[in-house]
Amino acid sequence: MFRLDPDPALLLESDERRQLREILRRLLTESCGPEEVRAQAGSPRGHDRALWERLADEIGVHGLAVPEEYGGAGCTFAELAVALEETGRVLCPAPLLTTVVLAAHALSAAGDRAACARWLPGIASGALTATVAGFLHRADVTAERGPGGWVLRGEADFVPDGEGADLLLVVAQVPDGERLFACEPDPATCDRVARSVLDPTRRQALIRFRGAPAEPVGEPGQAPGIVDSVLDAGRVALAAEHVGGSAHALDAVLTYVSDRTQFGRAIGSFQAVKHRLADLLVEVEGARSASAYASACLAGKAAELPVAASAAAVSCTGAYRLATTEYVQLHGGIGFTWEHPAHLYVRRARADEALFGTADDHRLRLAGLLGLTGRDGGPVDGDGSPHGD
Amino acid sequence: MEGSTMSGIPGPEEFRAEVRRWLTGTAKARAARQEWGRGDDSVAVFENRTEAEEREHTDRNREWERTRYDQGWGALDWPKEYGGRELPAHYEQLYRAEEAAFDVPRRTEIFPVTQQLVAPAIRIWGTEEQKQRWLRPMLRTDELACQLFSETEAGSDLAAVRTRAVPDGEGWVLRGHKVWTSGAQVATWGVAVCRTDPDVPKHAGITVFLVRMDAPGVTVRPIRQMTGGASFNEVYLDDVFVPDTDRLGPVGEGWKVTLTVLAAERLDSGGLGLDNADRALELARHLPRPLTGGERQQAADLFVRTLVQRLIGLRVTAALVAGREPGAEASVGKLHATATMRATTDLVQQLLGPRLAADTGEWGTFAWTEHLLGAPGYRIAGGSDEIQRTILAERVLGLPKEPKGAGS
Repeated sequence: MFRLDPDPALLLESDERRQLREILRRLLTESCGPEEVRAQAGSPRGHDRALWERLADEIGVHGLAVPEEYGGAGCTFAELAVALEETGRVLCPAPLLTTVVLAAHALSAAGDRAACARWLPGIASGALTATVAGFLHRADVTAERGPGGWVLRGEADFVPDGEGADLLLVVAQVPDGERLFACEPDPATCDRVARSVLDPTRRQALIRFRGAPAEPVGEPGQAPGIVDSVLDAGRVALAAEHVGGSAHALDAVLTYVSDRTQFGRAIGSFQAVKHRLADLLVEVEGARSASAYASACLAGKAAELPVAASAAAVSCTGAYRLATTEYVQLHGGIGFTWEHPAHLYVRRARADEALFGTADDHRLRLAGLLGLTGRDGGPVDGDGSPHGD
Repeated sequence: MEGSTMSGIPGPEEFRAEVRRWLTGTAKARAARQEWGRGDDSVAVFENRTEAEEREHTDRNREWERTRYDQGWGALDWPKEYGGRELPAHYEQLYRAEEAAFDVPRRTEIFPVTQQLVAPAIRIWGTEEQKQRWLRPMLRTDELACQLFSETEAGSDLAAVRTRAVPDGEGWVLRGHKVWTSGAQVATWGVAVCRTDPDVPKHAGITVFLVRMDAPGVTVRPIRQMTGGASFNEVYLDDVFVPDTDRLGPVGEGWKVTLTVLAAERLDSGGLGLDNADRALELARHLPRPLTGGERQQAADLFVRTLVQRLIGLRVTAALVAGREPGAEASVGKLHATATMRATTDLVQQLLGPRLAADTGEWGTFAWTEHLLGAPGYRIAGGSDEIQRTILAERVLGLPKEPKGAGS
């Protein structure tokens, strides 16, 4: 049964983390403002290689949670969460979530030392981008063992950052179930079609494997456990990004309503506006708490992680929805223009909910995990599978 | 934190084990611990007690608080000179988590008001003589203190109080009418917010006094609230003499003293509603039919609310332990708490259906009407939800104040 028993100190930002946050805030303010985000997202690569390298080399964001033996800094997820909060704050379009969280976590969770030694150092140094396929949305991919080794056939859709990733970690069908494979895609055997997306700062692709060579990662039978573990890590990471995005929206609205005057006074002096911002603050502080707890659970490999991850998803997607709604509304007409960045946050908040499950999906999962089902209450449709479709 | 082990402060697990050992030797384990369907099914937010029942319950509470204090388990975070243990503030929560498994009286509001609101304010604002005279008896609950704050014309606008205190020889004479005082019948002291100077701007003319509740001129009358019971009182102060030695804080600085108490009240209210929300979640587990998908989502949403509310409390604790001033998290707790209480009502309404509207005599069903009817009170008491939002907007977010209206 779930028990809330964390050391309160884990929920507090340490001095090291605060320093990391300040350094990142400075770097991103100077090189990833709203105009840069639009330019980077609209570029062929979808993100700025120079910024990617600065994040990797100057700050070491990529290797924060990678073990030292694979070239990382060997910190915990709690440090990485600080970085994600900051990149989420500015909508940095770099494929950090996919490479550093999802793919790196899939490799680590598989416990395959050869695979870790081969790819984790590249992830930690920023040399490699990577993503996962068939985790978030069931893919129709099968793996066959041919004369030259394993090959993949079939389609995986909605693959985040899938068009440009150097490495794909794919869940594929094998005769006795599912298994995780690593594939370095080659146009000769793999088509990647960029989808038109709601959120241009986080791209998605349809990937068709046509006999693409791949290597198994981990043992057969491990795949479901790896998928669950990666999804929960993704949820916790996304929660941190959403705290950052929500906090930005709140700050931006505060600045605007303090400056903007109508009826001869700052619109922020009207109670109708004030109370809505107070409600938003309440939600953002709740989201911040849920995210900090989930990060601590992930960092400490706590048994409460599934509950903490879904609770953070409920709290943080809820806060982000409200924050982005108010971001537009409290800016009035200017907030509804193409030029204003508010819609980029609306796009991110809503598109992200499709990644690892909506708040309602997570509520159903929590009810199952916590036994909130009534007596003899079995699963209901869709219960416990926020990632299934 | 680093000094913890050196200064002999037990670690949390060690402390809990000590608490359990002490409680096992002192109190009975709660009968049929947490067994669903048996025992007390009260979920009252405000107890409906007669004055005699109130006194009897207070006596039992007091007896338990004295046992705790005398044996070194009360006033955990207070200095030794006041009978405390000098433990970190969150050890009180650790203690309470263990105590919940034992059959000890449920504290009525006058106890936290005395120990968590009034005593800390005396520690900050009191003279040395007052601290020596009041703190130990209040922490031991030999003396109980109620709040004489609100008036009929000074609710949300508390600084508009009209109860007058006029100098008279070695003291003051108080005249006025206070409302919404909980525990006034059992309190020995009342903390009265009074106007001492009507000729200066309203916040500047206020002084705080501690009034003996048995002093001549003090009359207490119950107010019957919407639950049907009477948990609050109105208190008439008819030319009540208060010696100057019972004035708390300087003359004219009573508003600051009041804010100290109100801030502690906000901080103390972050845990409100959690017990009943947990009970509603137990109902969701034990309801004798499978829950629909929508009901499961509603129950899970309440769980998330309780989790977040507890985490916010832990963040406040963590900041205090680390010697930092808590940030926004310290001010949002009460709004979370009142929302949790409302969500609890909504879930129970959905799960119980007609058994919430008519009493079938079944355990743990119609009893929820006490929660349903009591919960709205906490959106008003201790600073209404609207006042909490204004405080958040102006003091935490720094938004401009409303233009001054008449009487501001």
